[in-house]
Amino acid sequence: MKAAYIQPFYKATRDVFRIMMDVEVKRGELRLAQDLIPSKEANVIIGTTGDLSGSILYSFPKDMTLTMVKIMSGMELKELDGFVLSALGEVANIISGNAMTYLNSENYRCDISPPHVMLGATHTLSMATDVVLVIPMVSTIGDFDINVSLRETNK
Amino acid sequence: MWKDKYKIGVELIDHQHQELFGRVSNFLQAVQSEGQWEEKLEHVKSTMEFMQNYVVEHFEAEEQFQREINFPEYENHKQVHDDFKATVNDYAQTFAQEGYSQELVQEFGAKLMTWLIMHVAAADQRIGAFVRKQGGTYS
Repeated sequence: MKAAYIQPFYKATRDVFRIMMDVEVKRGELRLAQDLIPSKEANVIIGTTGDLSGSILYSFPKDMTLTMVKIMSGMELKELDGFVLSALGEVANIISGNAMTYLNSENYRCDISPPHVMLGATHTLSMATDVVLVIPMVSTIGDFDINVSLRETNK
Repeated sequence: MWKDKYKIGVELIDHQHQELFGRVSNFLQAVQSEGQWEEKLEHVKSTMEFMQNYVVEHFEAEEQFQREINFPEYENHKQVHDDFKATVNDYAQTFAQEGYSQELVQEFGAKLMTWLIMHVAAADQRIGAFVRKQGGTYS
């Protein structure tokens, strides 16, 4: 797990939030974790295959999720329903897709799986043998985490 | 849903984008409106159809415009449109076969909204940038 994998995700997140929501995001201090653990209410997990194999877990607070989808849709939203969670999944999907494009330009060929959305904090998603790098993200509409667990496969 | 920052500076396209955002927004409002799903289903279906027709109409008009100005990224851009039309058709087929479940319609609405925002706010801006680079304005 290299710290070099982190920058494409940060860059893609910053761009997508700016383009889709006019929200500026900043990166906090990176930290290590042993497992992929959802830290907040609304979570999106996306798998990767190819030169980098593993998972990305996006973990958002409820209020921030509602604000994000409100900014995009122009609608007042109260619950994390199917529409809101699907929209969140798509945003994470777009971010991951853009991050893959950046990684491709650094000669890592990878693909992503469709987003899987889950509600609720606490349970561990995998007994990841690889280290997880947690990127805390700070924005004016809330703070969220991107957990990156990628392993370089043999090329 | 529409924001002025989505404008690309080509009146014809901007007008169509506004219309498209308006139709998607009406569809989403029908999907998310209060009430029982079965009771609002007819309204959901009619706004969906009204919106879907315009997606195809707008893509064709935008592609026509790109050909007229010799937009260098035409082939790639058309491929992106074609891929999204295929996604929309897949959903339409599933709805026809399995019915319009609330869950699947909400998922479709979310996909449509996010795709449209990202496409218009990023990819389509390159059309406007190209027109300006050529020193032209189109209306």
